[in-house]
Parts: sequence; C-alpha cells; structure tokens
Amino acid sequence: MTNKLSMKVALTLCLIFLLLLAPVAARAGVTDIISLLTTITGTLNNSIGQVLDGIQTVNTTIRNFEQQAVWPITLIDETRAEVAQVRAQFSNLAAQVHSIEMSSATLVNPKQLETRLRSRQAGDLTQISASYTQVYQSLPPPEQATPAQRNMMDMDDALALGALKTAIISDQASEQMLTVADGLETQAGLSAPGSASFLTTQAQAAALQNQAMLQKLLAAELRQEAAKLAHSNTLRKQSADATRNLRNGMQQILTR
Amino acid sequence: MNWKSPNHFLRCAWSFLKSKVALIAALALLLVLAPTRARAQFGLDPCCAIISAGLNTISGLLKNVVAQPLSSIQQIQQQAADFEQQVVYPIAAINSARGLAGQLRGQLKQLSQLYRLPTNSATLPAPQQLEQSLLSHDPKAIAQVARDYVAVYGAAIAPADAPPPVRDLVDMSDAEAQAALKRAVQMDALADIELAAADQINQQLQNAAPGSAPILEAQASAWLVRANAYTQSAVAELIRVRSIDLANAGAQLKFSVGDINTLRSNTGQALQRRSQ
Repeated sequence: MTNKLSMKVALTLCLIFLLLLAPVAARAGVTDIISLLTTITGTLNNSIGQVLDGIQTVNTTIRNFEQQAVWPITLIDETRAEVAQVRAQFSNLAAQVHSIEMSSATLVNPKQLETRLRSRQAGDLTQISASYTQVYQSLPPPEQATPAQRNMMDMDDALALGALKTAIISDQASEQMLTVADGLETQAGLSAPGSASFLTTQAQAAALQNQAMLQKLLAAELRQEAAKLAHSNTLRKQSADATRNLRNGMQQILTR
Repeated sequence: MNWKSPNHFLRCAWSFLKSKVALIAALALLLVLAPTRARAQFGLDPCCAIISAGLNTISGLLKNVVAQPLSSIQQIQQQAADFEQQVVYPIAAINSARGLAGQLRGQLKQLSQLYRLPTNSATLPAPQQLEQSLLSHDPKAIAQVARDYVAVYGAAIAPADAPPPVRDLVDMSDAEAQAALKRAVQMDALADIELAAADQINQQLQNAAPGSAPILEAQASAWLVRANAYTQSAVAELIRVRSIDLANAGAQLKFSVGDINTLRSNTGQALQRRSQ
C-alpha cells in the first residue's frame, strides 16, 4: 500500500517538473525581427554614427588649432631664423663693445699692476700682491709706525687686494657666463617648442649663478666700504688718544 | 499460478504493469514536449530572407557609419602624433637640450670653483685673524667679527677722552662698519647656497622631460627671486655704510663750525678782558 502511494507521488512530482522545465515555444514573428533590425540600424545611424562624427569634428578642430594657431611650423621656422638674425646682429656687436681696451696707466709699475688687474685670468692672483706692493708700498717696519697704524695699514691693503682679486675672478666668471649665454642662444636657434623649456630653465639657473656672483662682488664692496669707515673712525680714536696724551703731557709740565 | 477467471488474470496483469505504463507515458510526454531543432538555414524558413537583408544593412552601416569615421579619426590622430613627435617634441632636440644642460653644468661648476680661490693677503696676526673671519664664507664666523674688528681698529673711546657727540659718532661708525663686514660674510654664504641650488637644478634638468622641465624652471625662477631679495639686502647695507660715511663728513663739518664759534667767543672774551 505504501509502495503504491510513493510511486504515485513520484510520478506526480516528475510530471510537475517536466511541465515546469519544458521549453515554451518561441513566438517571434516577422514583425518582431523587422522591429529589432530597425532598432539596431537606428542605433548605428543615430547614436554611434553621430557621436563618431562629433569626435571626428573635435579631433580635426584640435589638430587644426594646434598646427595653425599654437605651433604653426612657418612661425616656428621664422622664429628660429630671427634668433639667428638677432644673434648675428647684436651678439657680435656686444662682444666688440665688451672687448674695448680700458688700460691707461703710463708708468712701469702701475702699467704692470693694471695689466694684471685687467687680465681676466684668475691664475694670476698670486702675482697681484707683488705688483700692488710695487705701486702702493709695503708695510713700514715696526720701528717706523705704531702697532695700531701697522694693523690698520695691513688691513686696508688686505681688503683692497682682496677686492681687486675678487674683481679679477669676477671678470673671468663674466667671460665664462658670456660663453654660457652664447651656447644657450645658439641652442635656442635649433630648439623646438618642446625643448625650449629646457633652455629657459638652464638660463634661469645660470641667472641664479650670476646673481650669486654679483652677491660675492657686493660682499667685497661691503668689506671695502666698511674698511674705509673703520679706517676714518680709527683715525678719530687715535686723535682722541693723541689729545689725551697731549693733555696728560701738558698737565705734567704745568705741575712741575 | 492459478487464475480463477480471465478477468482475474487481467486484473493481476494490470496491477503488475500499471506503474511501468505510467512511466512510459511520462517519458513519451517528455519527448513530445521537448524543443525541436530550429530551421534557420538553407532558406527553409520565410524569416531567413528578412534576417539576411537586415544583417546586410547593418553590415553596410557598420562599414559606412562606423568604420569610415573611425578610420578618419585614426588618420587625424596619427597626423597629430606625427606633428607632436616631429615638430613640437622632437626627441633629437630634447636630447640635445639635455646634453647642453650637462655641458653647461660642467662650465658653471668650474666657475663656482673660481670663487673658492684664496684672496687673503694680510700679514700681521690681528689683520690675518679678521681677514680669515671675513673670507670664511661661514655664518658661524660672524660672531667672531666684533672681537677681531676691535683687535685691528681699536675699541670705543673712553668717556673722559672725547665729548659725547664724538663718542656717539665713533660708536655708530663702528657699528655700521661691523654690520657691513658681517653682511659680507652672510652674502658669501648665501651665494654659495645659491650656486649649490643652481647646480642641483642643472643636474635634475639632465634627466627631465618636456613636461617636467617647466617645474624646474619655476623652481629656478623662485630661487632667482630669492637671490634678488638677498642682493637687495646687500645693496641696502652698502647704502647704509655709505650714508654713515657721508653723515660723518657732515658731522665733522658741524664740529668744526662749533669749534670755530667757541674759539671766536673765547677770543672775544679774552680781548674784552684785556681792554678793560
């Protein structure tokens, strides 16, 4: 009895499953297919086609703008030619002006000193002291001047010589900097819009170094001016000392 | 086995076969309901002609509406790429600019070393000591400048040795002279820092790209602005030291005028006493 019942239940379940899982017949007609194809065609024509046309237009506009307005080849070539022209016109002229002779000493010793001062060769620095001493004399021996006077004279000479040496170094540095500027200008004439920023950066870095060298010159000038001020101030101090000594001497004479 | 009647036989046979028949019937139903093969090929279905025409239309549209613009876009982008590679960012020009950066770096390094050449020349101990501090390029040496300065240029005048106006003038002059000397040491140190910064920027430029070079350019510009500011401070110090010098000359004249007035007054008083 139980077996019969379970068999019936199994059969019923099997039939239900079969009915559920059985595929339903597709009912796509010709109209549906035509509608689907029309939709696809419409999408291709309107959505995709129009967007692609738009992209094409934008790309063409960008290309034309870049080639005709931002980086026009003719203008780039003209600018390169102008760089070469300006270089030919002014760089040589400036170089000629810069090389005008400035010397004017007539006597042997000043002439030698002047030649060394205007040599633009930092290698001559050690010989400057000898030429300087020949023109401006060496320090007096201890028996001929007070220690304070000798200190001040030595300091004056040292700072004057230091400033002169700095000027020679600066001259040589200026020459090298002019070579750097020349190299940058030459390269500018061969550069492209994309490589010009490299040259600008190099020029900025060189300008920074130039500024640093200018500061070194200013430092030398500051030392010089300070020494001049200190020198005249020391003379006042020495004058006060001399006045005190005179007063003391007078008092001693009067008390006798 | 004994069957009482044919009916009894049939009942027994049915009860025996009932479940098997049901199973076979279920299987037969499954076969009937199972989907049959689609008939979409060889023009056997009337829909095939429509589908074929539709697909041909789509294919045509893909060729004309999609492929042609895409080809055109590709061509435009290729032209743009060629233009950028050949005109705007040619590798040769970029490499040449990088090479120049290396070359200039070497030249500028030599130039920086020039300023390291010794320029000292003092011979006596006190001036030597002061000169060493002044040319040290070391900000720590600034603290020693005052002591070394006094050793060379002397200390302030004692109260008993000069009137207050003269002592004021001398003190102010010493102060400005020392400030100028200290500023000189400071400027040398700052200039060394700027040279090092410029060298580093040049070094970075050797490995830069067109897109990163403007960043270095901006940094170099910023350093240049900073350097200009330092130069201005040095020029200001120079103006101060020259102004104090000028003020001293003016003060000297004023002292002379005062001295002459005192002399005139004393002489007048002396002459009056004699006439009385």
